[in-house]
Amino acid sequence: MELLIIPLVFGLISLILPSSWSKLIGGVGAIASLALACVHLNGFDPLTQTILASSNKMAFGLTFNFGYDAFGLVMVMLTNAIIPIILLSNWNRELANNKLFTALVFFMQLGLLGLFTAQDGMLFYIFWEFTLIPIFLLLYWFGAKENNKVLFKFFIYTLIGSLAMLLALIALGSSANSFAYADLKNVQLTQEVACWIMSGFLLAFAIKIPLFPFHTWQPATYTSSPMAGTMLLSALMLKMALFGMIKWMLPLTSEGIEIMKWPVIILGTIGIIYGAIIAIKQNDIKTLFAFASISHLGLIAAGIMLFNTAAWSGAVIQIINHSLISIGLFLAADILEKRSGTRNLSELGGIAKLAPRFGFWFAVTVFAALSIPFSAGFIGEFILIKELFNFHLIVGILAATSLILGAVYMLRSYQLSMFGAPKISSFEDLSWNEIAVFIILSLLILGIGLCSSQIIEYTEPAFRVLTENLTSNQQIIE
Amino acid sequence: MAVDKLILILLVLPLLGALVNGTLGKRFSNALVGGIATGVMLVSFCCAVLVFNQTNDTKIIHLFNLLKLNDFHINASLQVDALSIWMTLIVTGVGTLIHVFSMGYMSHDKGFYKFFTYLNLFIFSMLLLILGSNYFVLFFGWEGVGICSYLLIGFHYSDAEKGMANSIAARKAFIMNRIGDAGLLIGLFLILAQFNTLEFTQIAEKLALDPISANGAIVGITLCLFIAATGKSAQIPLFTWLPDAMAGPTPVSALIHAATMVTAGIYLVVRSNFLFELAPLTKDIILGIGFATSMVAAFIAMRQNDIKKVLAYSTVSQLGLMFVALGMGAYTVAIFHVTTHAFFKALLFLGSGSVIHAMSDEQDIRLMGGLAKKLPITHLTFLIGTLAIAGFPLLSGFYSKDEILGHALAHSPILYGTIMISVALTAAYMFRLYFLVFHGKFRGGEQLESHVHESKAIMTFPLVVLAILSIFGGLLNLPGIFLKNGTHWLQNFLNAHTAGLEKIHAEHASHTTILALMAVASTMTIAILIWAYYNYVKKNRLALADKELVGWQLFSNAKLYIDELYNFLFVKPIEYVSKMAYSIIEIKVLNQGIFGFANLFGKAGSLLRYWQTGLLSSYLFWMVIGLIGLISYYIIKLQFWNF
Repeated sequence: MELLIIPLVFGLISLILPSSWSKLIGGVGAIASLALACVHLNGFDPLTQTILASSNKMAFGLTFNFGYDAFGLVMVMLTNAIIPIILLSNWNRELANNKLFTALVFFMQLGLLGLFTAQDGMLFYIFWEFTLIPIFLLLYWFGAKENNKVLFKFFIYTLIGSLAMLLALIALGSSANSFAYADLKNVQLTQEVACWIMSGFLLAFAIKIPLFPFHTWQPATYTSSPMAGTMLLSALMLKMALFGMIKWMLPLTSEGIEIMKWPVIILGTIGIIYGAIIAIKQNDIKTLFAFASISHLGLIAAGIMLFNTAAWSGAVIQIINHSLISIGLFLAADILEKRSGTRNLSELGGIAKLAPRFGFWFAVTVFAALSIPFSAGFIGEFILIKELFNFHLIVGILAATSLILGAVYMLRSYQLSMFGAPKISSFEDLSWNEIAVFIILSLLILGIGLCSSQIIEYTEPAFRVLTENLTSNQQIIE
Repeated sequence: MAVDKLILILLVLPLLGALVNGTLGKRFSNALVGGIATGVMLVSFCCAVLVFNQTNDTKIIHLFNLLKLNDFHINASLQVDALSIWMTLIVTGVGTLIHVFSMGYMSHDKGFYKFFTYLNLFIFSMLLLILGSNYFVLFFGWEGVGICSYLLIGFHYSDAEKGMANSIAARKAFIMNRIGDAGLLIGLFLILAQFNTLEFTQIAEKLALDPISANGAIVGITLCLFIAATGKSAQIPLFTWLPDAMAGPTPVSALIHAATMVTAGIYLVVRSNFLFELAPLTKDIILGIGFATSMVAAFIAMRQNDIKKVLAYSTVSQLGLMFVALGMGAYTVAIFHVTTHAFFKALLFLGSGSVIHAMSDEQDIRLMGGLAKKLPITHLTFLIGTLAIAGFPLLSGFYSKDEILGHALAHSPILYGTIMISVALTAAYMFRLYFLVFHGKFRGGEQLESHVHESKAIMTFPLVVLAILSIFGGLLNLPGIFLKNGTHWLQNFLNAHTAGLEKIHAEHASHTTILALMAVASTMTIAILIWAYYNYVKKNRLALADKELVGWQLFSNAKLYIDELYNFLFVKPIEYVSKMAYSIIEIKVLNQGIFGFANLFGKAGSLLRYWQTGLLSSYLFWMVIGLIGLISYYIIKLQFWNF
């Protein structure tokens, strides 16, 4: 339970103490969380599950169950590793000295950790909603001021999705007389009911991921957010939906998968192409990265719907990979925006010459986003596209085109901003914390690329449990 | 030492070199950086020679498990057989020479250490591509060389004048290669679906047990692999990146875009010969594409005026010839031509580098002339390279082209006749290039002339070595008429120890036919040489300015307008679709139409703005929302619970 308590405590402390303490508290809290996650990782046997807290059934069948399997732990680890990186990339920005900001980041972490470890449907829902509060306040207080409209769109969108998920959960819970994960999973559904319930989950997840055509809140939100907000959204919050699909939606409503996988895979595939095509001619670099993200996530979502351990292995690697890459890309975009005063690619140029270190690390990030050999994406994309290909030839071929389109828009964005003759006179090169972020990200991407088979082996038992037939559920979860 | 250790050393050393130079090179002197990079290459080459001496059978070296999913697994493993070790010898051998040359050529460049880092990294990727024992490792290297190629083409991205052009050329190369890569990836999946393995030897065994030639899957697989090959090896329709890739420093053109990377497509087809043998349709397509590429590129090369562009189109054309050989099933012949081509084309490119160096970076042959006296070593070696590529009797290109021509004649006399045209064009544009650069009067003005000087020994030494190889390279695979024993050494070597190849016996023509073919080819080459001498030296017909070109010369000079055509057919439409998708689907339909919450909530937002005047009110607002949510939740809960 300390996993959840640490961010809560540090969040409260940072609210109480003056802003001059924020950096210190942020650093200590984030590192403490990470260290604790490492302890958990060290003591965990991937063949088992760990229970953090459990209670008897309370009113309405609610329980207070927390725990994780290997997949949940990987997500916990991801969260606790990403939060310090986000704080570090903010280190030399004003926000780092704001106690509200630091507190919100910790509350965000609390929500995420709660979500990844919840073993009760209502807890899952509560944490799902809870994460919305810190991110909304973060965007509202620290984002571009004129963008209330964008913010409301984002908020209403996600709220509608959540509502659908709430209904789905209640429907499930009422037939199980309990909201405990194991009980929910044991509910036998007819195919039709399963489809309806899955649709409820799906609406929430499709908006959060976001899947085409539910993505329209995203580009505007990304561009008007402060850097840390964009990072939290793309690196962590979107992953809640992907996690929810694997851990909650599909195992709970597996009876409906045969019907429901088609629309999602089709939308995912459309998203892969659509996001990439639009990114090709985008001039706003943050919007460009937002559409690139839609393209990448369409692939992951489509792969998850295949409902098999191999595709999920690819998905988990891509989930981690996408988190790391989006932090790198949005950091680069922010550096470009802050130091040149524009996000418009046609007004940028020649920065590689003015800021060679930035040029180098931005290039590394771009190549990682292109899934070059030795990077995490190389293996992740390979598995996902392979599984989609096995599912359907056309889907596989369309997914493979992302290889080409990705090269087009990523290299274009890099080239227009960094190469050619400089259009501005000076550009401050990276500060130490930014270099540190890029180095950490690169090492992680490289390390995951090299150790991908270990990660796959680690999460495979958990995935096997999640994909197993309903009949054998009783033996697995005591 | 054991083979597996040697192979590991020769593979890892270039990577180590890249790591050391990449991280510490900035602090090292140029000599040290160059020394490290070239040193690892030399050691790698020596290891390759040692392995070569011990190669007698296909050997698989298992390194580790790369990927294990429930239904299949992929190993990181290497395959040492005649084909892979032969390619390794070419890559490390020619690579070493080009590293030596680069130490001189790049000596004034600020990015010296970066250049050698990329070069070593390229060699590592290329070796992975060649030595991998399955398609996955091959794909790994395949992608890797593409990236190194991108980095090296755009090496001078910050150049004030050409920086943007260089980086555009690099991007074009990368994207066109990626189209091929997507083909390879799909091919990989098709192979996996069909054979459930990616190991070359296992696929060959499965096919040997049960040749499923009727199966359409093989055609699909081979077509995908061939698409990949057209990307890497610059064949129609994906060939336009290679001439543009000349934006890279000249040693890069020699190493990557002439001797090694661009032959990866040929290697892929030869490596997959057991698949292609079962797909006659694909082989016919390869033959057709290879032939067409060879003709088109040779035609364009006739009226190019940039010394490197001529050589680039020549490379495309020669690669086309290799694909013609592959299409006829003459796999070893293609590798033979890969070998000799690596020698003389690397020589020609390095020679052109020496010329460009002497000309203070001027590449237009209309401004050169009479360089023979000023650059004696460059001139002599360039002449040897020109003669070799033109197929002058007894030089290396003569033998390898003759093998292709012999097979073509056996295939169909019409094919033979048309390929002869391509060969004739090769001789014509190469002699044009040679005479315009090295003979006649200097046309670049006095100021430029005063700077012209022969390159340093570090640059001329590789030229001499490559020239010697270009002269004697043909001895590797002498046809039967010259020696009773030991003929076709390379062919026999490759056939004996390469999966699938042992079953394929190349057609042999009779001695008289071979002699007749050689006589015809020699006569033609010598005739063209005399014509070119007469035309360019005696009558002093110089290359024309762009405006004075007429008829076919216009088309040749304008590269047949293929870039413009692609721009019109692909680039513009995709950009148009991108813009339209954004302005219509994204903005009009999704944002303002069916999912148009924006307008609706815009209004709501303006209403709610009254609530948003300060921090306190926003807190209140959220408290209210929260309370409402909580209450409605419980209400719904109770409703459901009690029914």
